[in-house]
This record gives sequence, C-alpha cells and structure tokens, in this order.
Amino acid sequence: MAILETQSLGKSFGALTAVKDVTLSIEAGSLHSIIGPNGAGKTTLFNLLTGTFAPTTGRILYDGQDITGTRAHRIAHLGLARSFQRTNVFPAFSLFDNVWVAAFATARSWQGLIYRKAAAYPEAAERARQALSDVGLLPKADVPAKAISHGEQRQLELAIALAAAPRVLLLDEPAAGLSPEETRRMVALVRALKGRYTIVLIEHKIDIIMSVSDHISVMHFGSLIAEGPPAEIQRNPDVRRAYLGGIAA
Amino acid sequence: MLYALMGLGLSLITGVLNIPNFAHGALFAVGAYFLVTAVNAVGNFWIGLLLAPLGVAVLGLVIEYAGVRRLYAAGHDYQLLFTFGLALILNELIIVIWGPVGISHLPPALLRGGVDLGFTFYPKYRLFVMVAAGLLVLATWLFLEKTRYGAIMRAGIENKEMVSLLGIDIHRLFTVAFAIGAFLAGIAGALTAPIRGLSPGMGVDMLGIAFVVVALGGLGNLLGAIAAGLLIGVAQAVVAAYWTEASTAVIFAVMALVLLIRPQGLFGIR
Amino acid sequence: MRALVLILVSICVLPFIVRPAIATEIWIFAIFGLGLNLLLGYTGLLSFGQSTFFGSAAYVAGWLLKHYAINVFLALGIGVGVGALSALLVGYLCVQRSGLYFIMLTFALNQLFYFIAYQWTTVTGGEDGMPGIPRPDFLGLNFKDPLVYYVFVSALFLLSLWAMKRIVESPLGKILQGIRENEVRAEAVGYNVPRFKLLAFVIGGAFSGLAGVLYAMLFGIVPLEAISFVFSGNVVFATLIGGSGSLYGPIIGSFVFIWLSESMSVVWARWPLLLGVAFVVVVLFLRGGVVEAWSRFWTWQSSRHKASANPSAR
Repeated sequence: MAILETQSLGKSFGALTAVKDVTLSIEAGSLHSIIGPNGAGKTTLFNLLTGTFAPTTGRILYDGQDITGTRAHRIAHLGLARSFQRTNVFPAFSLFDNVWVAAFATARSWQGLIYRKAAAYPEAAERARQALSDVGLLPKADVPAKAISHGEQRQLELAIALAAAPRVLLLDEPAAGLSPEETRRMVALVRALKGRYTIVLIEHKIDIIMSVSDHISVMHFGSLIAEGPPAEIQRNPDVRRAYLGGIAA
Repeated sequence: MLYALMGLGLSLITGVLNIPNFAHGALFAVGAYFLVTAVNAVGNFWIGLLLAPLGVAVLGLVIEYAGVRRLYAAGHDYQLLFTFGLALILNELIIVIWGPVGISHLPPALLRGGVDLGFTFYPKYRLFVMVAAGLLVLATWLFLEKTRYGAIMRAGIENKEMVSLLGIDIHRLFTVAFAIGAFLAGIAGALTAPIRGLSPGMGVDMLGIAFVVVALGGLGNLLGAIAAGLLIGVAQAVVAAYWTEASTAVIFAVMALVLLIRPQGLFGIR
Repeated sequence: MRALVLILVSICVLPFIVRPAIATEIWIFAIFGLGLNLLLGYTGLLSFGQSTFFGSAAYVAGWLLKHYAINVFLALGIGVGVGALSALLVGYLCVQRSGLYFIMLTFALNQLFYFIAYQWTTVTGGEDGMPGIPRPDFLGLNFKDPLVYYVFVSALFLLSLWAMKRIVESPLGKILQGIRENEVRAEAVGYNVPRFKLLAFVIGGAFSGLAGVLYAMLFGIVPLEAISFVFSGNVVFATLIGGSGSLYGPIIGSFVFIWLSESMSVVWARWPLLLGVAFVVVVLFLRGGVVEAWSRFWTWQSSRHKASANPSAR
C-alpha cells in the first residue's frame, strides 16, 4: 500500500524547471532511495514533499489524502519528518532540548503552553529520550549542540526527525560529510530504522544505497529516468550514462 | 522627488550593507545645516550646494570606516544600533552647533519668486529642486545600471559572497555604497533647506519617510525605491491639499495598508 | 535564587539611595525591558518600536484616568490590554517579514503612531503631552505618597518578573528560542513560526503597556517622547547593556540606563548626545552587556589565579 505518492509533480522557478513530471509511489514500511547526479532535483523534490515549496504542477498524496499545498509547518503533524542535507540543528540548545522541541511540536496536547514548566510533559520527554537513544547520543543529552562533532551533529539531525514520532522519514543525505567509519555507523542506524518507519532516502554514496534500499528511483535534470530494485538499477544503462562514470558499478 | 532621492540612497545602503541606516535622516539634516554654513562662509549658494553633500559624504565615509565596518563581524543588529546611536549623536550635535531653534534660509536670488504655470503659481525654487533631484536620481540610476562599478554594486546587493569570491573588495564596496547613500541624503537635505527651513527634528521626520519608501519599494530594489518615493511624494501632496495635518501620518497608514495586502512591498520580489 | 535575593534587597534599599520617583522609574523601565527581551533575547527579534505599545497604553489609560476617573486597577488592566492589542496590530504586519524588513517595519509603524499622537492635539496634547494624570487612591491606599506608589510598582514588577520567568521556562519559551536558533528547522518540526512570533509580540506588548500606564501615573503626564523612536531605542539600549541573554539583563540595564539618563540630564540639556555616545561605546566594545562583561571578568580572574598558582604549567 502506497503511503506516499506523487502524481506528475513539477516545480519551476521562472524559466528554470527543477522538477518535471515526477510520479512516485512509496510503499509503507519500505526504504525507497532517490538518487541522481548533483542538480538532478532531489532536494527540490523533498522541498515539495515537505511543503517548503508549492508545486507548480501535480499532486502529492499521503495515505490516500491529497496534501498538495500543505504548508511546511503542518507537514510534521501529518506524520512526515525530514532531515536536512546541511546540518540544521538548534546550536545553543542542549541535545535534549533539540529533540524535545521537535517532540513537543507533535505532542498530543499543548495545554499549558505558556505557563507550565517544560519538564511537565512526559510524553514529549520520553519521545525525546527515545530519539536520542535510537541514534546513540543519549549520554550526551546535556551537551550544547554546537559543541559536538560534525558526525554527531548528523546523528542529531536524524534524531530531531525521529523525535516527531513520524510514520515517514525523509532523509536528505544523512551521511553527508561523514568519514568512512561514521558512514558505516549511519548506515547501520538507518538499517535499524527500517521497518519501524517508511524511509525515503536521498543519497550520493552508492554503497549505502545498494545495501539498504528496497527500491530506487533515479532522477536526472528533474525527471525520473529509472525505477526499480537495486539489482535492476545497477544494470541500467541509462543510469550509468547519467552518472557518467560517477558510480562504481 | 526628494523622497525618491532619499529612498534611493537608503535602499542602496540597506541593500548593499544589509542594515537599516538609522542615521540616514540625520545625514539629511546635516546636509541641510552644512549648506547653511557653507553658504554663509562662501557667500554662494551653488558652491554651498556642492560642498554640503560632499561634506556629508565624507562624514558617511568616516562613519562607515570607524563604526560600521568594525562591527561587520558582530552582526547586523550591532551595526544597526551603531547607526541608531549615531543618529542620536548627530541630532544632538546639530542642536549644540546650530542651536535648537529653526533656521530659515532663502533660496538664491536666481530662483526666487514663482513661475506662472497657467493653473497655479508655482515657486521657482521648488521647480528647481524637482528638476535637480530628478537629474540626480537619473545620474545615480545611470551609474548603477550602466557603469561597471554600478553593476558590481547591484550584484553586491543580490549576492555578497559571490561578489567577494570574484575577487572584489567587498569592504570597499560597502564604504563606497555608504558614501554614495550619504551623499544623496546630504544633497537632499541641502536642497530642502530653502523650501521649508531647517529644524533639528527634520532628520527624524525624514527618516521615517525614507524607511517607508524603502519598505514599499522593496529592499535593495533601487528602481522600486525611486518609484515608491515618487508615489509617496505625490500621495502626500494630494492629501496635504485636503487634510494638511494628516498628510505625514497618511504615508505610514498607506504603507501599513500596502504591506497588509502585499507583504513584499509594491515592487519587492518574493 | 541568588538573583532573586539581590533583587529583593535592591527593592528595599533603593528608595533610600535615590528619590522614590527615580527608584519607581527604574522598576517601570525594567518591566518595559522584560517585555522587549522576550522578543529580542529569546525570540531573536529586534523590535525597534516598543514605545508604540508603551505610549498607546499610557495615552489611553491616562485619558481614562483623567476624564473618567477610573480606578487604578482598571487603568492597569486597560494599559495591558491596549499594549497587547496594539502589539497584535503592529505585530501582524511585521511578523510576515524577517530580518531587516521586520526592524524597519517596527520602526515605521512606531512613527505612524508617533505622528498620530503628534497631530491629534485635542486628545494627546501633541508636543506638550497629556498632563494632569491623577493617581487615585484605592482601597484606602494613598498612591500620591511617592513611597506608597513605589511599593506598589515594585510589587507589580515582582509580579511581572515572576510571570516572565514562568513564560520563558514554559514550552513557549523553548519554542521561541528555537525560532531564534533556527527558524527554518522550527518550522520544519511543526511550528507556525509567524504565529509564535506574533504571540511573543503580544506578550511583549502587554508588558510594555503595563509599564506605560505606571509611567503615566508616576509623572502625571504622558510626554510625546513616550511614543517616540528614541524611547524605543532607549529600551533596546538598556536591554542590550544589561545583557539580552538572560532574564535579569533588562533589570540591570534599567538601572544603568535610568541612572545614566537621570544623572546626565541635570548636568546638560543636551544629554541625549552623551546617551548616543554611550550607546555607540557599548555597541562597539561591550557587546554582551554587563552580564557578559561580568562573566568574562570572572573567567579572566580565575584563569589568572590558575596561571599564578601554576607557573610551571606555562
């Protein structure tokens, strides 16, 4: 059952068409990767899915409901959470606060928003702790985010998305800028999350893609040029041409 | 037309340096007062008209170099506060140097009296100001549009990183932009002096209007600032004919209204 | 805890050091600063038009006190209401924009209110201000006695401080700080950022309104300056000088600012010049304000001690 679908989704900025006629179907519980060379429109696609941009054409369906044009701040409440390619955390906050803020946003009730103490919301606190624990950062919960390493910040980036207890995770290059060791850890992390969440992954590093994906869509110049399970994509000549030797097949 | 001049200068500074220049109104006032002093010293209006804005431009250079540039690393908020403090200082200095009472200054003999336009008798000096300001706006516009340095400046408004990556000294660009903006404010002030006389508060009044012009024209949108300036000038004149007291307040009210409907201003892009 | 004790002590001691009127002014200005700091320090919004709400509340409540002889608490309530309402109107226009636009809009709208106050001389008295604002008795308390009024204002200040403390420690406080830290992410995790900014604005406006009414009653007059951009700048300056990073910063800032302005104004009619200079100096050299300078001083001190205790470690 497709939990997230796009139908002929397109986005143009004036004369520039960033995304063209993209029709995708993401199965619930699967890990669906979107790959393509730089500038293929992958992040723009994400921005469309998360309501950061409004699409010029096409529709987005979530759980069968048309959510096209939903504004960015409503998306998290629907159950879609996103992590960013460039680390986008709250620098002065402790790690705990970073995830707590995300957890609170989608908490069941905001009663007492102005006068209750932040500690008095057990559900949010529990989700926050769980998110940190899932990425292995719980021991550093009180450390300010700007004081941790880049690799740990990428983990935090993921944790913030998890804290919303979403159904769908949109991960934009979670391994960006990570060392090989850190990348291995990130892959293990993502694999551990499989099944609990539906994951849509944008990645560049081919070994990650091949090892975790159930399904791959390839984008090039804003359009989809290939789709299928990893083995098929690897053999696909169009894909190879698009990357022009960028992938070790 | 004067509003267009002020708006252009402020839009330039704001666009290039990314700070609202709270001292812009004060620079306007200083321009007017410099004119009076220069004319009294030299005895010739035209020389005074040349010297005064140059003086203000120099002042602008000093301000930018001594303060704004030093605070570049601290962030825009601090640069802004610096210009605010400066506005206070300049306003008070004007009172200290030239006294708290308003001064009136007659236009030069050549431009006294009025011109018979058929339906109304229009002061010659005002005509001169319109033309002069118009020419200045045009000149600045041509500079920004046609010359290479002007193009660099416009690029700087759009994308500072790119410009510095291209090897251009971004700090020098800021200084020049500030100096030009100050010059425009100064000459606007100098031109205004004979129209309504001078008073220490003239800077503050003008500052608000300049902000409105820039807000309506779109930040960094130089053509928009010119257009907005003209629009507001006309609107104020129209309102003043019917309801004098409210004419200035109306400017702000119009701005509020426009922003409600079109948050990006009349010409802003978003 | 320590901060609270210090504050209580200063409340008790202050009227013996300076005139009760000045002491009162300090606490009023501190309330004003608390309101601004919710926007500036916590949400990261430099609002340059806070005097709009301060002045509007002062004028409206002052008018009602003068012509309709309402009681003190009603006046306070109305002041808070007017402050919040005007903040709602201004904020609504301003929060749609960020950065420079926001700052310029708060300023421009401040000027709008200023001009209305300036021109509407029948109500506001224009340049001369609105004099003759009474301080009516209430429940047997004679507010005309400066000391009694001082105690009243201090109590209200403590109440405001408590309220602000609750707010910044609440989820809202965290959300606003999140907006300051990373607006894009805050939106991505599910917060309607403009609406939260508006909420901060309204709360800040309410505090400003309260301060405005108390000010009007303190001096018996609402001067035009109370709604001017200079006044807006003053509270920004005071908050920065005290340190916008902490809850108590505005309090220190208020002390410094009022002390500075009061002592300078008797010396020279052109004291705003010195104020401008002080402003510039603080901006250029003392960016984190007194609070940061203090903590920097302590860090420097302790590192000196460590170095002198361990000369071989160098």
